[in-house]
Amino acid sequence: MAHPTEYTKKKECEVKAIPLEEKKRLVKEGKAHWFFPHHMIEQVLQCLAIIMILVTFSIIFPAHLGVKADPFDTPAHIKPEWYFLAAFYTLKFAQYFDFLGSWAPKILGIVIQGIAVTALLLVPFLDRGGAERRPSKRPIAMAVGSVSALLTILFSLLGWLT
Amino acid sequence: MELETLELGPLKIRNKLAIRLFSAVDDRLGVKEILQDEMFEKIVPAHLTFWACFGGISFFIFICQIVTGALLMIYYEPSIMKAHSSVARIMNDVPFGWLIRGVHAWGSNLMIITILIHMTKIFVTGIYKAPRELNWVVGVTLFLLTLGMSFTGYLLPWTQLAYWATVVGTETPAAMPVVGEHLRYFLRGGEDIGQITLTRFFAIHVMILPLILASIVGLHLVQIRRQGISGPM
Repeated sequence: MAHPTEYTKKKECEVKAIPLEEKKRLVKEGKAHWFFPHHMIEQVLQCLAIIMILVTFSIIFPAHLGVKADPFDTPAHIKPEWYFLAAFYTLKFAQYFDFLGSWAPKILGIVIQGIAVTALLLVPFLDRGGAERRPSKRPIAMAVGSVSALLTILFSLLGWLT
Repeated sequence: MELETLELGPLKIRNKLAIRLFSAVDDRLGVKEILQDEMFEKIVPAHLTFWACFGGISFFIFICQIVTGALLMIYYEPSIMKAHSSVARIMNDVPFGWLIRGVHAWGSNLMIITILIHMTKIFVTGIYKAPRELNWVVGVTLFLLTLGMSFTGYLLPWTQLAYWATVVGTETPAAMPVVGEHLRYFLRGGEDIGQITLTRFFAIHVMILPLILASIVGLHLVQIRRQGISGPM
């Protein structure tokens, strides 16, 4: 693991105040790169790669246009886009709780999603692991994060399969 | 007094006209200082890895979505009678319409993937910790708004799948106590999904959400600039 350098300990607004000579020294010592042209070329290449991926995909797998909507013809299988599959399956999953009463499936479906989103928003405040950043020293955060990610993937797969 | 050479980082400009034009702008706006601070004399820490680029890539795809979205708007007609046929026209008749719609559709999927990679990276490397807690919250908000963009944009071609996905999607919040029914009515613009829903989703997709998203992206970036790039672990 690298140690914090003089540069990396400083905030962006303070970095601007570093004298040019010191910036040159940091670059020479390999602790930093010039934004121009080094970092900028990297970013331009990344953008070109993204354009290439998007255009290639559009050519090989053209955007699909399904049949026109018919409000009187409910399709047999309604499935959302892949990124909503987990949320979609959560609604189905909540139906297993109908033994609690007829209110349970609907309310639980939305409550589970609400809790998941709120937890995601509040991650920095829920994590009581102090300032430690290395994943190997944060077993609880890593375990909770992995289980959440795996559950989301599992729910997405189940949503896709049902 | 005129400069002999204009030095901007590694660039040395000797062209007289270029120097005069640059000086004319610089005298009035002081752009040289900004260019030096933000570009030519700016340094970036050397510890950044490949995984650090996905936030910027998500931002770039957002820009692509604005450009392709604006182009699609030129031919798209937000009415339940014409929406589907206007998208079919974009795909079949408009020059490169298939490409613009293809990039917009694939861009929406890729943007969600890159945001998820970005979020995973920030989580695993603990960058959300002090002093960056608030920027995590802002970032997750951006992710949710992006999902909102996908949800509203999906209905616009007025296809069978989109229509019924929207039926299910707008039914979900109705389960919420007290506000649920009102929220569904608000999303649909009535009891059922029809012209008002399409008009509403169109307005949200092309105007309301992009403006909110762009503002919050600004907030995300301002925070990054104030706090600087996080140090190595």
